[in-house]
Amino acid sequence: MIPFFTGVRVIAGLELRQRVRGVAWYVLVGLFGVVVLIVTGLLIWGFRALSGGYDSDPGGNAIFSTIVYLVLLLGTLVAPAFSGNAINGDREAGTLATTQVTLVSTPQLVIGKFVAAWISSLAFLAIAAPFLVVSLVIGGTTVGMVLVSLLVLAVELAVISAIGVGLSGLLRRPLFSVAVTYLVVAALSVGTLISFGLGTLVAQERYEYRSATYDYDDSTGNSECIVSDTTTEGTRPRPDYVWWLLAANPYVVMADAVPTRYGSGDAPSDLFGWIKLGVRSLQQPPDSSLVDDPCNYRSDRSPSPHEVIDRSVPSWFVGLAIHLALAALALVGAIRATRAPARRLAAGSRIA
Amino acid sequence: MTAGATAGAATVSAAGPSELGIVVDRVARRFGAVQAVVDASMVAPMGQVTGLIGPNGSGKTTLMLMLASLLAPDQGSIRVAGHDPVADPASARRLLGWMPDQLGSWGSLSARTTLVQTGRLYGMHRLAAAHRAAELIHLVDLGELADRPSRVLSRGQKQRLSLARALVHDPAVLLLDEPASGLDPAARVALRRTVRRLAGEGRAVLVSSHVLAELDEMADSAVYLDRGVTADAARIAATRVSERAWRIRSADRHRLRDALFRAGVPWERIDADAGGLLVPIAGEDAAAALLTRLVGEGLAISAFAPAVGELEHTFLDLSGERMAAAPPAGAGGPGAPADPSPYAPPAPGAHPAPPQPGGPQ
Repeated sequence: MIPFFTGVRVIAGLELRQRVRGVAWYVLVGLFGVVVLIVTGLLIWGFRALSGGYDSDPGGNAIFSTIVYLVLLLGTLVAPAFSGNAINGDREAGTLATTQVTLVSTPQLVIGKFVAAWISSLAFLAIAAPFLVVSLVIGGTTVGMVLVSLLVLAVELAVISAIGVGLSGLLRRPLFSVAVTYLVVAALSVGTLISFGLGTLVAQERYEYRSATYDYDDSTGNSECIVSDTTTEGTRPRPDYVWWLLAANPYVVMADAVPTRYGSGDAPSDLFGWIKLGVRSLQQPPDSSLVDDPCNYRSDRSPSPHEVIDRSVPSWFVGLAIHLALAALALVGAIRATRAPARRLAAGSRIA
Repeated sequence: MTAGATAGAATVSAAGPSELGIVVDRVARRFGAVQAVVDASMVAPMGQVTGLIGPNGSGKTTLMLMLASLLAPDQGSIRVAGHDPVADPASARRLLGWMPDQLGSWGSLSARTTLVQTGRLYGMHRLAAAHRAAELIHLVDLGELADRPSRVLSRGQKQRLSLARALVHDPAVLLLDEPASGLDPAARVALRRTVRRLAGEGRAVLVSSHVLAELDEMADSAVYLDRGVTADAARIAATRVSERAWRIRSADRHRLRDALFRAGVPWERIDADAGGLLVPIAGEDAAAALLTRLVGEGLAISAFAPAVGELEHTFLDLSGERMAAAPPAGAGGPGAPADPSPYAPPAPGAHPAPPQPGGPQ
């Protein structure tokens, strides 16, 4: 056996030199830089026009959130292409078996390939980082927000790379595993929204409530609240049962993880903060006081946005946990499927 | 055993623990419904070149993959330099070098980088790996091409790179799967010399091929694999005394033909080709007797040698036996006879007939 990290480093180095780093890769990174540059330029220009020629907080914040989401979008679109054929592509090219007869172990092989795929998608993050600093200069963001967003982006790219490498070890045909990796990205980005919507529909519940009527007393001029004797049946959605589906959305994870600044009325003052508030308030069970005691219901008892966020479970934590579990599962699966000497082989596959 | 080791290359380390580089005992492997290897048993001694012979689809590559620690056998046991590649692949891999039949190379890496990185994968230090790569590039004669991307290499050149890669860690056991395919004649001669020298240094070399003439020139002994079954020693010994064609050349073909007829060779069984007359003779002793007689009659014999190589003869004879036992359509026919002791070491005193170019004058 060779030391674990030596093996991983040699494999990752080979992978970066041979498979990932080609002309196409440089072209993609360059194109991405140009797109981010154009978007940033347009945003700065547009917000200056709106705010009468001054740099403004909303402008800086808009640039920040747009670039972060752009990197997340393009990163999750590009990472499957770099990782989705890492193992079965080598198998087809006949270079997997010649690596497997060396002293490098299967975990080293799979993890080395994952590291290489991750590093090559991190390049997109590196290109975008200076633009996030621009948003700091303009205002509307804090160093903490930029650092957290960079960290979450790096983790999300790692998750997609791990899923891609894992699927390339589990599935036989490179084209198929790349496609399935894209489907996983789509399932996380769009599928979570759809399934949350469907889940909320399914998770409706019937409930009984008493209505209240106000009896106006002419003599005193006061009205008295009377809870009616009969109960009425109604249905209400229970998103608090399925909110975790939404939490698994990488865009939600991002918005939720970035620290929120609060403005007037304890309301979030940026885009990510409002998304966070939306997702967090879905965790709240329906207000029972409205049902049980309609006469004593007071709207000012309902919590402020700041309170809602503080009282709820951090959904980025749940989302990242789901993502990391998927990534770990994919890598472990790939290691199991790639072990040599192989006992079972997928139909039609070859070793060398 | 430490014959001419190349400069810097450590002498083969593990010849000590086991004189047999490879031991395969009753190994079987199936892929789904296809039984690729049915019952294979063989040994390959250290310091010798062992040929693995069989038609396409006979299970040669499957057996090679099991020896290379890439496939686990369903049944049976394998020892490579004394180690079990299933139970302890790392120990086996340290001592075995494998050259695959399908050549995969990292196309954008140069031959030198490929060898250095392979060395690193065997746990060599960067400098040691670079040194070893330079040695191997010299050994397989890739000098001018060593620093160009390997995708520009021709098939033969890739083949040499592949051989060099199998040798990076100076293995005691070498598995070469069809090493000569795609090589030009000069490269074949060079390959044969290299393989002989590698064996001379004390390694066990197993070479698979279906080009039998080639193996004839480099193998000390051979293992015959047909439909996943290795032929046992008794059957191979039987082929040594079975009839095979010998080519006899004399300036006067007519006198030669008459003399052969007088010596008891049936007229209709004497064939002719550009090189001389082809005569069926059973075994070396009979051949020697016939030659003595012909020379005794005063014939000027300029060539007297087997017309087909030793391995080809054995191979054809063995497959002929199977064809006879199971007529063409015979799916599920008796196939190879079930022998109570199928353990087949190479034929006793495995020194095949000397190479026959020209033959004795």
